[in-house]
Amino acid sequence: MITLEQKKFQEIEKMTKGYNPLLVLGCETCAAMSFAGGQRQVAELASAIRVARKTTEQKGEVLEDAVARQCEPEFVDLIADKVGGCDAVLSIACGAGVQLLAERFQDKVILPGCNTTFLGVTEELGVWSERCAGCGNCILDKTAGLCPIARCSKQLLNGPCGGSMNGKCEISKEVDCVWQLIIDRLTRLNRLEMLEEIFPVKDWSPAGHGGPRKMVREDLKS
Amino acid sequence: MTRNDLITEIEHPPCKLACPILTDVREYVQLIAERRYEEAFATIRKQSPLPRVCGRICTHPCETACKRGQVDEPIAIAALKRFASDGLWRDQYEAALPGKSTGHKVAVVGSGPAGLAAAHDLALLGHGVTIFEALPVLGGMLRVGVPEYRLPKNVVDEEIQAILDLGVEVKTGVRIGEEIKLTDLFEQGYKAVFMGIGAHRDRKLHIAGEDKLEGVVSAVSFLRGVNQAEKPRVGVKVAVIGGGNTAIDSARSALRLGAEGVHIVYRRSREEMPAAKEEIEEAAHEGVQMSYLTSPLEILGRDGKVSALKCIKNELGEPDDSGRRSPKPVPGSEFTFDVDMVIAAIGQAPDSSLVAEEIEVTEKRKRIIVDGPYTLVTTQPGVFAGGDAVTGPATVVEAISAGKRAAISIDSYLRGESPATVESAGPTETERLSSVIIEKTTKFERCVKTSLPADNRVKGFDEVEAVLSEDVAVKEALRCLHCFLGARLDKEKCISCLTCVRVCPLSIPTTSKMGEITIDPIACQACGMCALECPVRAIDISLDHRGEMSQEIEKGMAESHQPDPVIVGFFDLHGNFGSSDVESLKQDYPNILPVMVFGLRKIDTSDILKAFESGADGVFLAGCPPDTDPFAETADRVKRRMTHARTLLDAMGIDGARLEVCDMPEQGIVDKELIDGLIQRIKEAGQARSE
Repeated sequence: MITLEQKKFQEIEKMTKGYNPLLVLGCETCAAMSFAGGQRQVAELASAIRVARKTTEQKGEVLEDAVARQCEPEFVDLIADKVGGCDAVLSIACGAGVQLLAERFQDKVILPGCNTTFLGVTEELGVWSERCAGCGNCILDKTAGLCPIARCSKQLLNGPCGGSMNGKCEISKEVDCVWQLIIDRLTRLNRLEMLEEIFPVKDWSPAGHGGPRKMVREDLKS
Repeated sequence: MTRNDLITEIEHPPCKLACPILTDVREYVQLIAERRYEEAFATIRKQSPLPRVCGRICTHPCETACKRGQVDEPIAIAALKRFASDGLWRDQYEAALPGKSTGHKVAVVGSGPAGLAAAHDLALLGHGVTIFEALPVLGGMLRVGVPEYRLPKNVVDEEIQAILDLGVEVKTGVRIGEEIKLTDLFEQGYKAVFMGIGAHRDRKLHIAGEDKLEGVVSAVSFLRGVNQAEKPRVGVKVAVIGGGNTAIDSARSALRLGAEGVHIVYRRSREEMPAAKEEIEEAAHEGVQMSYLTSPLEILGRDGKVSALKCIKNELGEPDDSGRRSPKPVPGSEFTFDVDMVIAAIGQAPDSSLVAEEIEVTEKRKRIIVDGPYTLVTTQPGVFAGGDAVTGPATVVEAISAGKRAAISIDSYLRGESPATVESAGPTETERLSSVIIEKTTKFERCVKTSLPADNRVKGFDEVEAVLSEDVAVKEALRCLHCFLGARLDKEKCISCLTCVRVCPLSIPTTSKMGEITIDPIACQACGMCALECPVRAIDISLDHRGEMSQEIEKGMAESHQPDPVIVGFFDLHGNFGSSDVESLKQDYPNILPVMVFGLRKIDTSDILKAFESGADGVFLAGCPPDTDPFAETADRVKRRMTHARTLLDAMGIDGARLEVCDMPEQGIVDKELIDGLIQRIKEAGQARSE
């Protein structure tokens, strides 16, 4: 899933100032699962903005709504009328959702209520961690299913570096050295010899370094 | 479809399904827990015309079915019913009377629980009802069978009066079949007759000495005497033969009338004994001796009076037609013991001889024959029958049920409609909880009923059991596990985020590998964690409906015109406080709007913000002490949620200190110092900010 977190309230309050009515729009998939943009957070954030506006004697109605995914035009178009009646939309979705809104509603102010963080997994309720960097060229077959691009601080392909201490990364005692984990796992799998193959210099063009990425499936597109 | 599918489909809690009259047990237990006693009584009264009688002598199949019984002990439902029904509010109950009369007259023969229930429901359906009673007093077995110490007569009188107040007429001392035949009733203008004549004829022992010796009495006539002002004389050593409630009533009454020793002689073992378990225990507690696996062979006499009882010991053989193991005499085990009175309590049959010419009765036990348990039509057109007269001796609630069913059937008949055919659901069986849920469920001891000490009891016929006190009743009601009041998942909204699976303290929600979530509605105990944490609000719970709570706050705030800072106070109903504590809170702090919830788990940050949005200057959350919290393990999560709320309030420019979270004191509802401190802080910060 894409993880995201709500921006600090002060930042949200500042960027939404003066918009009347303001629509707080949730996204019921990744944003909801990150407890940043589902209906529950829509209710909380909208209420908080209303109370804050009341406290500082600002006028302005705050509306609430949510769609299944803000990254799909069909869902977004279903709330066109409501958006039409608003000054601005505070989207609490990932950056993709915010941008699709901006694309579909050309003459509306669209504001981001969240920071998109990473592609990750749920470790437990309320704890997420990064697992994938979306580099466009997966090498997990060679690294025991553990990604050095997403999880090594230096994105080393032939690690570990000299900063690996007792299985932890030199940047923090809280961060596992993924290369240590790779070695441990390959040892368990009895495949340690795989590390004898040296990774060549990585081609970063599928990772976005070759410009904005786009994917087309000829068999599916209209 | 299995039985459990049926329960799940109907979604009636097991207690309600087990009740022959489908009393909404869960609802009134809930209302008692919320200290809404008048509404609890109204809920009971809606189904039962004899709530105070049922609260005392019902055999409470609801308790047998109660899910809590699988965890520790069932809720003391009957005692709660009595608590709700004995209160001062009972006189204020007003039944919804029918708008107009149908013009039909119905005769109800017999004024026991079946007849009274039929009369009550027929009157509410708009029919003119006359009760014909053979005895000079009303109530049937409630008056002449059940002894005063279990069911005070003034209770019976008051309940009957409430039924008569619906416009029901009464003719006592009239035995239908004697001078007035059933057919005569139709000539007198009655369009239908309900026969609820009960079973008032004792079955005979058929042993030597039974008919010729002085000191041998039948239980029905003995108890009839017991229930009169002039009490019958009893022997010094009394043997009561039989194992049903009548036998126990006779034995306990004999003790009260001065017998020095009372023996119950029962042919099977304690396990097969049909009397209610509590009754057997109470009798033993009062000093009644039990001789199990013993059958009487002969009553011996001297000078025409009973002198001894000759018995034989039994052992248990193969199960008989009733499913109970049948007693087999052990050869050579005969013995004799001295008694000077023998009470025969081996069952009763209807006294149907007077009407047997007009309606068909069974050959052996003389029970009135009906075509089915819901139509209750006899062989004579227009005549219906139910209760003990049809089934043989049964329980008061079964008799009430028969009366109610008869009223529906008679009503259809009078309207010329075919009787409603209802498929009997059969006996209920509560779904078994998994061992994991049983283990994880917090145990709370069942209330102990207050009763007279045994020494005092046998001196007279004072009622043995006292009504529960308010505190005890509320605490008992809070033990309810809320079958079917818990999480409801809207599958269309669900995004399979697994939050419910992760937060449930009882591990009830489960997921398929494709993310389809299932929440067992009968296992769920309505703690509310999943409903609150669900990020897309796909779950709601019926107990503390989210929408209702925010409406309550908005309404309360709109009505509040207090000069002092206005505070919304959320109070956990599981605290040790009484109605008087709530009243004094309202008096001492009119500026606090109390919102009662089953657990602070159900309060989200958005609810707190909603309170501020509605104009509150502060919010107060008072949780119950940990030992009364059924989900104490969630307390930490609630605290962390409140920390999040405070941080947000600070960020919003509303001082987070305006939100106070605390535990209630051991007794009472609030710690005044904390509230005063909160009010002080709000005043200092300036209450006008949220205006």
